[in-house]
Amino acid sequence: MSAWGMIKTIIFGGSTLAFFFILWFYNPFKHVEHYEVEKDVKAIIDNPWKKTESGKTIAEEGRELFVANCSSCHSLRYDGIYIMSVQTNPKWKNIEKTAGRPVYRYGKLYKDRFFVPKDVYEAFAHDDLQSLKASFGQVPPDLSTIYLARGEGYLYEFILNPQKVLPGTSMPQIFNPQFDPQAKEKVAKIVAYMKSVNTPPPQEQFKRTVMGVVVIGYFLLMGLLLWKYRQNLLKRLGYH
Amino acid sequence: MGLISKFIDWIDERAHIREIYRTQMVEYKVPKNLTFPYVFGVLALVTFAIQIISGIVLLLYYKPSIADAFDSATYSIMGEIPFGWLFRHIHATGANFFMAIVYLHMFTGIYYNAYKKPRELVWIVGWLIYFVLILTALSGYLLPWGQLSYWGFIVTTEIPGSLAEAPIFKDFFKAVAETIVLWMKGGYVVTDVTLGRVFGSHVLIYPLILLALVGTHLYLVRAAGISNPDGIEYDKKKNPDKFVPFHPYITLKEGAYVMWYLAIFFFFVFFHISHFLPPDNFEPANPLKTPPHIAPEWYLLGYYEVFRSIPDKFWGFVAFNALLLLLLLLPFLDWSPLKSARRRPLFFILFLIFMFSSMALTILGTMPPTPQNAMLGLIFAALVFGFFLSLPIISIFEYGWYKMKTKGGQKE
Repeated sequence: MSAWGMIKTIIFGGSTLAFFFILWFYNPFKHVEHYEVEKDVKAIIDNPWKKTESGKTIAEEGRELFVANCSSCHSLRYDGIYIMSVQTNPKWKNIEKTAGRPVYRYGKLYKDRFFVPKDVYEAFAHDDLQSLKASFGQVPPDLSTIYLARGEGYLYEFILNPQKVLPGTSMPQIFNPQFDPQAKEKVAKIVAYMKSVNTPPPQEQFKRTVMGVVVIGYFLLMGLLLWKYRQNLLKRLGYH
Repeated sequence: MGLISKFIDWIDERAHIREIYRTQMVEYKVPKNLTFPYVFGVLALVTFAIQIISGIVLLLYYKPSIADAFDSATYSIMGEIPFGWLFRHIHATGANFFMAIVYLHMFTGIYYNAYKKPRELVWIVGWLIYFVLILTALSGYLLPWGQLSYWGFIVTTEIPGSLAEAPIFKDFFKAVAETIVLWMKGGYVVTDVTLGRVFGSHVLIYPLILLALVGTHLYLVRAAGISNPDGIEYDKKKNPDKFVPFHPYITLKEGAYVMWYLAIFFFFVFFHISHFLPPDNFEPANPLKTPPHIAPEWYLLGYYEVFRSIPDKFWGFVAFNALLLLLLLLPFLDWSPLKSARRRPLFFILFLIFMFSSMALTILGTMPPTPQNAMLGLIFAALVFGFFLSLPIISIFEYGWYKMKTKGGQKE
C-alpha cells in the first residue's frame, strides 16, 4: 500500500471507529447522572444470590422486606407481588389461577407466585389503584423493571431519601437511617431483590458468557481458516 | 456415496444448478482491485438475513396489544422463553448494525462515485431501500412499548405537523399536515389500532418491500457490473488481466470478512447490549408522563439535528426532507465525467467535509439543545448542503479539465 493509501485508511478507518465508539461505548459529550453507593452497600446489591446467616439468600430477604414495606402501594408483577389490598382479597387467589400463570424465570419455576396479565390485574384492582391515586396524585408504578430503567445507584438513593433525589415526589421516606440503624442494609437488600428479578442468576450468567466466548471464538477461527484456505488456493491457481 | 452422487446428478440434470453456479460464480468476473469497503454490501445482506431469522422467532412470542406488548417483550421473551433473550439481543444489535452498515455502504458508494452512469438505477433503488429501512426501524422501535418507544413514535408522527407553520397557504398546509399526522398515527391518540398496524407493517409489509428492493438492487448491480475503485470502466474482454473470477477470489475473501464481522456482532449480542436496549425503554409506556430527553435513535440524529437547529419549524422540516431528496438526486447533481474520489481531488475534499459534517451533526444530536450547539448544528448543516450544491459546480470544472486532457491525446 502506498503512503497516501495508508493515510486515507487511517483517516477513514480511524474516524469511523471513533464515531461508533462515541455512539456505542462512551459519549463524553452526553450528560449522564451517576449515583455512587458505598462499598458495603454495593457488596449487598452485587450479590443477591448470596446466602446470609439466616439461611436465606439476600434476594429472598429483600423480597420479604419488599412485601412488608413497599407492597401496600407498589406491585411487582414479574415476581407475583400485587398491592396488599388485592393480595388479601379472597377472590384474587382465584383470578391468579384462572387468568395468570406461575412465575417462570431463567429456567426456574415459582409455583406459589403468579404472573397475571396487566389488563386483568388493573381491571380487578381498579378501585384500590384509584384510591391510591386519590392519595398520592398518581398510581404508584409497578416496579417489575424499574431496576433496569433506573439502575441500582438511583434506586438506593431514592428509596433512602426520596425528596433529595426527586423533590416534590409523593413517595414517603420509609427507611430513615436516623431512627433505624439497619435502614441502609434493608434498602440495599430491596434493591438487590429487584435486581434478582431482572438479571440472570450467576449460573445462567456463566452459561451465557461461555456461549458468547464460544460463538465469538468460532467465528474468529472460521474467518482465519477461510483466509488461509483462500491464500493456498490462489497460490495453486496462479493468482497472487 | 454412490447413491447420493447419483441422486445429486439426477437433480442436477433437471435443475442445472452446476451450470448456473459455473456461469454466475466462477465465470462471473469482477475487478481485481476491489478495496475493503466493497464488503459492506455483503455485510448488509448478511445482517438482513439475521434480522429476518431473529425477527421470525420474536414474532412467535410477541403480543401486539397495548396491555401485553411490554410484558411479552420484557417478561416472556427475556425470561420465560428459553433463549428468547438471545434472539431479542440479536434483533436489537442487528437493527443498529444494519443501519450502520447501510450508512457505510452509502458513503462507500459516494466515495467511489458508484452512482454514476451506468449505475444510476442501482443508487436510486438503494435509496429506496434506505428509506424503507428507516420506516422499518421506526415501526420496530414502537413494538416493545416502553417509554422511549411510545414517545419516540409520538414525536416522529408529530414532526410532519410542522408543515402547519408554513409562511404561505396556511390553511392548505395545515390540512396536509393534519392528514399526514393522522395517517401515521392512525387516529388522534395512539391506541391498539395503531400498535397493530405498526406491527403489521414491521413484520410483513416493510420486510416484503425490502426483499423485493434488495433483489432488484442485486440484479441491477450484476446488470451494470461492479464499479471500479479507480473510476475507470475496463472492458472485460479487452483487459482480462484487470479481472478475477468472483469465486473463489472474492467469495472466500468476503467470507472471511463476514466471519470476523459476525464475531464483532456477537460481542455486542453477548457482552455489550446496553446501548441497543437502552435502560429508559424498560419503563412501560405512560401517555401521561413525558420523559425529559426524547431524541431519535442515532441513525436519525443527523436529520434531527438539522431539524432542530433551524429556528423555524417549517423550514427545519423542509431542510431535512431536502437532504433526503438531494441524496436521491445525487447521480444527477454530480454529472462530472470523472469517477471515483481517487481521481478527483476537489471531490475528495468535498467528501471529507460531507463525512465529518454528518458525523458532527449526529454527535451534536446527542447533546443538549443549547444556543451554541444550535449554532454549530446550523454550520454543519450548511456544510452538508454545501457538499450537495457544490457538486454541479465542480462538475463544470472537471468537465473542462477532462476535455482539455482528452484533446491533448491523453485519453484514458
